[in-house]
Formats: sequence, C-alpha cells, structure tokens
Amino acid sequence: MQLFVEQLINGWALGSLYALFGIGFGLVFSTLGILNAAHGTYASWAAIAGYYAVDRFGVPFPVAVAAGVVGGGLLAVVVDQIGFQPLRAKKTGMLGALITSIAFWIILDSLAGFATGQQSLAFPATSYPNQMVVLGPLRVPQMQIITILALLVCTVGIYLLIQKTRIGAAMRAVGWNEVAAALGGVNARMVILLTAFLAGATSGLAGVLGGISTSNVSFTLGEGLMLKGFAAVVVGGYDDVRGTAIAGICLGVIEVFVAQYISTSFRDGFTYLLLLAFLIARPRGLFGSANFVRA
Amino acid sequence: METLLDLWAGYGSTVTFASVNAFFALSTYAVLSTGVLSFTTVVFAAVGGFLSAQMAGKFGVPLWAAFPMAALGGGFAAAVVAGAFLRLESHWMALASLALVLITRVTALNTPLLTGGVNGLIVPLRVEPLELALLLALCALVFWRLHRSWYGLAARAVREDAAVASTMGISPYRVQFAAFLISGVVGGLGGAALAFTLQFISPETYFIGIAFTMIASTVLGGSFHWLGPIVGAAVFTALPTAMQAIVPQIEDVAKGVVLLLIMIFLPRGLIDPRAWGLRRAARLREENERRQQAAERDAHA
Repeated sequence: MQLFVEQLINGWALGSLYALFGIGFGLVFSTLGILNAAHGTYASWAAIAGYYAVDRFGVPFPVAVAAGVVGGGLLAVVVDQIGFQPLRAKKTGMLGALITSIAFWIILDSLAGFATGQQSLAFPATSYPNQMVVLGPLRVPQMQIITILALLVCTVGIYLLIQKTRIGAAMRAVGWNEVAAALGGVNARMVILLTAFLAGATSGLAGVLGGISTSNVSFTLGEGLMLKGFAAVVVGGYDDVRGTAIAGICLGVIEVFVAQYISTSFRDGFTYLLLLAFLIARPRGLFGSANFVRA
Repeated sequence: METLLDLWAGYGSTVTFASVNAFFALSTYAVLSTGVLSFTTVVFAAVGGFLSAQMAGKFGVPLWAAFPMAALGGGFAAAVVAGAFLRLESHWMALASLALVLITRVTALNTPLLTGGVNGLIVPLRVEPLELALLLALCALVFWRLHRSWYGLAARAVREDAAVASTMGISPYRVQFAAFLISGVVGGLGGAALAFTLQFISPETYFIGIAFTMIASTVLGGSFHWLGPIVGAAVFTALPTAMQAIVPQIEDVAKGVVLLLIMIFLPRGLIDPRAWGLRRAARLREENERRQQAAERDAHA
C-alpha cells in the first residue's frame, strides 16, 4: 500500500511536468494555430538558463527558476517574431509555420548541444530543496511537492486568465479568427506576443523543474517532454488547460504504474495507445468544446 | 573521368539518399496535394521496409520482387489508416498521424519476431543507385500522368475547397482515400529503398527524423507540383553536405537557417506553378503593351 501511494505521488509529479509543458504547447496550438516542433527546445533552453544562473552566479533556487521561466518566454517570443511573424501575412497556414518551427528545432537543439558541451548536466545538489518531507509513513521529495504545486497554480492562473479576463477574451478571439478579432478592436499583435511569452514561460517552468528533478539538463530533456506533453494536450483537448492538466497527470500516473506493475517495455506504448484511442474515438479530448472550428 | 569518379566517391551517397528521400517526399506530396497534412508516410515506410527486409532475409526473395511487396504492404497499411483517419478534421488528422508515428516505433520495438526489436535487422540485399534512379523515374512518370488526369484535377479542387469540389460531383472522401493509397505505395517503396540502401534497419530508422525530413523536403521544393518534392529532397539532402564543406563547425545550425530563409522568402516552395503562370502573364502583358504602343505610333505617323 505504501509503495502504491509513493508510486502514485511519483506519477503525479511526473505527470505534472508533462501537463505544465503541454499547457504551453496547447496555448500556441489553440491561439496561434501553430503545430510548434520547436516547443521542446524552449524547455531545454530554460533548464540550461537556470543551470548557468546557478553555476556562474550561484543564485538561490527561486531566482534560478525565474531565470528559466523568463528565458523560455523570451526565446518563444524571439522564435515567434523571426519564424512565424513573416508567414502570417503570407497566409501559408499551418504548414509554413511547421517548417520554420522545424528549422528552429534543428538550430536550437544543436546550439543547446554546444551550450551543454554535448553532455547531460545536473544541478548541484545544494542548489535546490533536496530534502524529504515526512508525511506519516511516507517520505516525499520536496521537488515533487514543488512540481505538483506549480502545476496547480499555473493551471488555475491560466484558466482564470483565459476565461475571466479581457486579455483572455482577446486571446480566445484571436484563436478563433485573427482578422475578426482585430476588427473588434483587439490588438492582435500584442495578444500574439503575450501568448508566445506565456507559452514559452510555462514550458520553460516545466523544463527547469524537470531538469532539476531528473538531473538531466541537455537537449534530450525537451524532446522527452515534447512527446508526452503532446499526448497530454491531445487527450485533454487542446483548447482547455484543465483538460491538459488532468490528462497530463493521468498519463504520468499510468506511465509509472505500467512500469511498476506490468512491464517497463510497455510504458510508452500504453501512453501512445491511449493517445490514438482518444484521437479516433473522441478527437476533441476530455474537455474540448464540441463546436471548435478553425476557419 | 578520374575527377568524376572522385566526385562520385565523395557525393554518391548524398545522391542515393536524395533519391530515397524523394520517395518519402512524393508520398507526403500525394496526400498533401489533396489538402491532407499527414505524417503517416513514416508508418508506410516502416511497413514496406521491414516487410521487404524480412522477405529478402528469411525467404531469399530477390530485389525486383521485394519492392512490389513493399509497395503492396504500404498500400494495405494506407487503406487501414485512411479508413480510420479520414473522418477527422485537418488539425486532428495531423496530430493523429504524428501519434501513429510514435506508436509505430513502440510497436516495432516490442515485436522482435517481425522487426528484430531493439537489435534491428541486417538486410542482405543492396540496391544500386542506378536501379533506385530508375524506380524514382517510374514514380515520377506516374505522378506526371496523374497530375494531368481527371484525378489530378479533382485533387487540386479538393485541396482548394472541399465543399466546392463536392458540389461539382467530386467526392472528397474518395479522392483523399485514393491519395492515401498512392501515398502508401510510394511510402512503402521508399521504406524498402531505405532498407536496401542502409542494409541495416531498426525501429529508430523509421521515426520522427524521416517525418520532418519528408515534410521539409516537400514544402521546400513546393507542394503544388510533383517535381517539387523531388527537387526539395535533393536540396534538403544536399544541404548538410554543402554546409559541412563550408562551415563544418555549425553545419546543423546553418542547415536550419537556410531552411528558415527559404521558407520565409519562398513560402510556396522552389517549384511553384503559380509563380510560372504569373511570370508568363506578366511577360505577355508587357509584349501586348509594347505591340499596342507600336501600333499607336504607327497610327500617328
């Protein structure tokens, strides 16, 4: 029983990382209509930024996380302005942006390889809270609790931002139809910049936290998050952050349980099977709105 | 002659891989030309590749028989995929096909009896570059005929606007289904070509890398004409080699930057029939104006 609960918390923390990353990925997909292959590199670079902040300047843990988050957000804005903005006027649709995002993926991945010296770096053990919290018979690492809380705060925050504020209404309007939103008095350019920053920052947070708790700061970090985050977005429904959060947690828990109780070789297979089943049986995901149409 | 042979020794493999990638790009183009963005070519390639490799390895099937088998296998896989996926809307379609690529790798890893699993398969046959070029030429011929046929016209109509096409009596479902079958056959051929070129395949061979190479090749070359994917595959395959010769330290970065620049400045690709048409129209207009001016001058005189 104790093992079961411990694994449940492990899976929850792992799934929280997937969900955090997926929220950023889904925001870009639903608001900007871009299938962004470069999104994983934001997480890698955020982790690298956090690592160097600690390594070079010896900053405390919250500052390192903030450095990663801001770094991820700024990178997303730069990529958007160089890679996607010139294509918006040319109406190349999803395909053109997909290609430029592949280009950025290649560029940023290989630069990340240089930045880490082609190896996997780990945060020094003293730079983050690495104690165990004792809850009755359970011992839970502090980082897992931080990750779980981070997802909770981000999900509630972004959900309220999108559903209850004027900025959120503007973001939904741009996601529906950019031209119509602009006619309605929305500054589409600002909304796009804000969405890109928010998406990069959320995925960056996933990158830093994931880099710390898996002791893996390299370009492979982003790739791993990308595949699972993508699954979380699709299963949850990409136009609702609640769905992504729940789906991400479920995927993490399922992954850990399949590895624990069935076989490690089926770990990824089960996730993707679930993904395919959802795509065919219920393509709009857990929470996706039924009438979602992109013109 | 000596220099020519040296050149072949240096860049022969680039040419071979360019033709292999051309198959993948053509397969992507086949569905893209009916307005469907699908990554499933990788799946068809995996089916074709593993099928032909096993046929050659276990049953001693010769090369000329292994390719048609790969094509059939790819086509069959395409029929299954099309049946399941064509109900989905375009965005979901792209996501679903990407998911299927991920699943294919996991499946291939866990069925060692069919695919060799983690250890992969050694392929005992080898395809000559000339044979590959002939096969590619044959495919191009088919695509050329299709482009000018009723099917080509229907495909373009469905791509531009499926609703309008269906009011004209074209069934988008049937056209897209046919496109998937073509994509499956060509993708299966490409998978076999890759297997007989590398002579070693594993589940990692048919993964995201191919998906992005083929999409980039297709869009780079132009997705509005069958020549586009072939040209695009050649450029995209030659890019790393060229970059390695110029800037060996940062070849990947340079490759990405070139891809980015081409996409920003030529979003419709290198081969763009509309640009040709526009240029021809502009030239005609100029000629007409000149003729008119000359006629006016004659009238005044």
